[in-house]
Amino acid sequence: MTTNRSTTLEPAAAGAAPGEPGRRFSWQWLQGFAVRHAMVVVMLFVVAFFLYKSARFGTVENMTTILIAAAPFALIALGQTLVILTGGIDLSVGSIIAASAMAGAYVAKASAGNLLLTVVVAVAVGLAAGAVNGFVVSRMNVPPFIATLGMLTLASGAAYVIGGGAPINGLPANFGSIANTEILGLKIPVILMILCIIAFAIIMKRTSYGMRVYAVGGNRLAAEIAGVKSKRILFSVYTISGVLAGISGLMLASRVISGAPNLGQGYELDAIAAVVIGGASLMGGRGTVWGTAIGLLLIQTLNNGLDLLIVPSYWQDVIKGVLIVLAVAIDVWAAHRRTS
Amino acid sequence: MHTKHSTEAVSTAMLECHGIRMSFGGIPVLKGVSLVLEPGTVTALAGENGAGKSTLMKIASGQYKPDEGTVEVRGEHLHAGDIQAAHRLGVAIVPQELASIPEMTVYENLFVGRELRSPVGLLNRGAMIRQAREYLKPFGLEIDPTVRMGSLPVGIRQIIEIVKATSRGAKVLLLDEPTSAIAEQEVGRLYSVVRSLRDQGVAMLFTTHKMEEIRAMADRVIVLRDGNLVEDKPLQQLSDDDIVEAMIGRELEDMFPEIGTPQDEVALTVEDLVIGDGTAPVSFSVRRGEILGLAGLVGAGRTELMESIFGMRRAPAGSVAVGNRKVALGNPAAAIAAKIALVPEDRKGAGAVLSMSVLDNASLPRIKSFTNAGWINNRKRSGSIGDIMKSMNLKSRGLGQTMETLSGGNQQKVVFGRWLTGPVDVLLLDEPTRGVDVGARSEIYRIIVDLARQGMAVVMASSDMPEILSLSHRALVMRGLGVAGELSKAELLEPSAQDKIFRLASGLEASTKKDIENNDN
Repeated sequence: MTTNRSTTLEPAAAGAAPGEPGRRFSWQWLQGFAVRHAMVVVMLFVVAFFLYKSARFGTVENMTTILIAAAPFALIALGQTLVILTGGIDLSVGSIIAASAMAGAYVAKASAGNLLLTVVVAVAVGLAAGAVNGFVVSRMNVPPFIATLGMLTLASGAAYVIGGGAPINGLPANFGSIANTEILGLKIPVILMILCIIAFAIIMKRTSYGMRVYAVGGNRLAAEIAGVKSKRILFSVYTISGVLAGISGLMLASRVISGAPNLGQGYELDAIAAVVIGGASLMGGRGTVWGTAIGLLLIQTLNNGLDLLIVPSYWQDVIKGVLIVLAVAIDVWAAHRRTS
Repeated sequence: MHTKHSTEAVSTAMLECHGIRMSFGGIPVLKGVSLVLEPGTVTALAGENGAGKSTLMKIASGQYKPDEGTVEVRGEHLHAGDIQAAHRLGVAIVPQELASIPEMTVYENLFVGRELRSPVGLLNRGAMIRQAREYLKPFGLEIDPTVRMGSLPVGIRQIIEIVKATSRGAKVLLLDEPTSAIAEQEVGRLYSVVRSLRDQGVAMLFTTHKMEEIRAMADRVIVLRDGNLVEDKPLQQLSDDDIVEAMIGRELEDMFPEIGTPQDEVALTVEDLVIGDGTAPVSFSVRRGEILGLAGLVGAGRTELMESIFGMRRAPAGSVAVGNRKVALGNPAAAIAAKIALVPEDRKGAGAVLSMSVLDNASLPRIKSFTNAGWINNRKRSGSIGDIMKSMNLKSRGLGQTMETLSGGNQQKVVFGRWLTGPVDVLLLDEPTRGVDVGARSEIYRIIVDLARQGMAVVMASSDMPEILSLSHRALVMRGLGVAGELSKAELLEPSAQDKIFRLASGLEASTKKDIENNDN
């Protein structure tokens, strides 16, 4: 099942598939699979290790915990994937999370629990911040690193301004229902994560918009000569990234029924790590939604498993740092094997 | 074409440029150029580097806005600065730096920007793949449209670019240096693609500075020199010499200075050096004051040979010696210590740091000689580099000017000059005049000849035949990462030398017994 799924979602593999001789299960096939999907193999090893070490790791309850923790990261990692595919980077998503969480909390409190207004305002804050990023990058030609670094600082400041320097507590109880309601046994953020992953996988693989995002990242001049409006594409990816960060911020605030101005701090780095572990090139033009999903799950599984093994949190960071670099090194090696 | 052919009033022209003028930073690049392209014709836009060819192409394709003049496509005014408007009018450009997207597949490249969609709005990949096959078939390209563009040879990618342009209804095709990046065996395929498009009524304009391309493709030749149109005639009315002299604006002989006499002492000895996997070993020696030319096609191994000598790539076997001392292989620092210097082909990639100043670039290889305990002695550095750049006749605003704002010729002078702050016994030059305009070219030649006279052994790889013929004391012809033959000075002076080099390089002829051993592929 995994093979079919991954080949349909990965452009390179989709191209190679028809030429392959019969897909029988053999040692050679297994080697080929390992090289093509190195990160899936790494993931399997990590899961196997935790299953062996911890009895609680494999429980349904724990799997749910991993998914709930992954959801806010998944949204910003998806946005980040689009941005990185165009050859850019969005450093501001962590701060946008904080700004929209604070804005949502503020509106919820002021409107005494008007949920619709709360959601609209929180998402609008993300949209506005993303659109500013997109405008500055695509129209003013400011390098994405700088443009979004500026937004990182700006949005973080705005988050503190909204709360007057303090968290917003004492929110109406229904504010928590945004993230804590269960449908079919899954909480809303988890459902949203699954829907978004599927939606973006389809968009990137099956629509002309997705193809143009790849084209702009692969060779901007070529895309323009072919009639792609590259500025619009660039504007759109930053805007999407901002909207997703806004939703993510709302979910995080709702989960704990409180708005904290330091929410989401440093999340952008985990999101970028997930995208890169997923095999995307920071130069643009290469990467997949499926890859990002794997990268995200790898990071979240590590967080969770190391917690279960009661590894001190500073050591967790050390281990995570090593594993991120190791995982990408393996992928670079596998990519080299793929091409030669 | 449906009315009177004889009258001037009805124009059948596909593309017309009138009085195009263009300057960059106050320097005129085009000084009033007009040209007309008729349907079903191939026009060569010839001229040396810096003559204004690429600029004219970019104006005709709507990328640049000229300071003066107009461009009309089939009678419609082309609003400058809008590639996409030019596209709608049917003008397409295949740029020199390939406009393909290497990470995407062939069919995605063909369809990007005008994707085929199913009724639901999703991509119809199956239809695009089928259609791509249809597009490629008439050009004899038997490739799977689902392979990654980056995995194909450059020549094929370029033809796919042409297919892409014409499949979008381009009636005017501008090819900027179409053969500059492709191997010789792929050129023939390009020629046949161009011919079949001509038969379909497409008007084509291609830039070049190579005679054989003009002869193979063009019906008509336009020559630009220093921004002026100096020739515009059907090909039959022009001899090769007419065209070359129109391009350089003077007699050929004036370009090259007299070369000196080599000394007896051997400076560089290369013995049984293997530069590829399982390729024949290469042996030769170069005396002080001698200029050894390296001829061969793209990919024949000239660059690889130089990089192996300089230690940038590790040769699996063999030895390199300067004088009597062996040089450790695979170690550029050892090569520099042995007084070998390399001026690489790719100036932007390997030769210079373009964002740094002339002074910094020139002092980079021997920066240690300008420092005291790690601190740069700026007075010493500026003095020494200033003297050398003066001797090179460098035209710059000063040593602080950044490299990227210099012309190609002046950049090359800096890349040359930077080695001369210390002793050099062996100078390796890879395409020393690529991207250098005519005027600066003869200065580079003078510098090379002077350095040889001073006692350096020079190895010069070049694709420019006159350079090999006129500057070398001896020439090696390379093929398949080995040496296919050698020509003495006497042989180089014979009228048949060019033909002989070509035959050796393309494997049509194995000249001596030694070469027969080497021709194992």
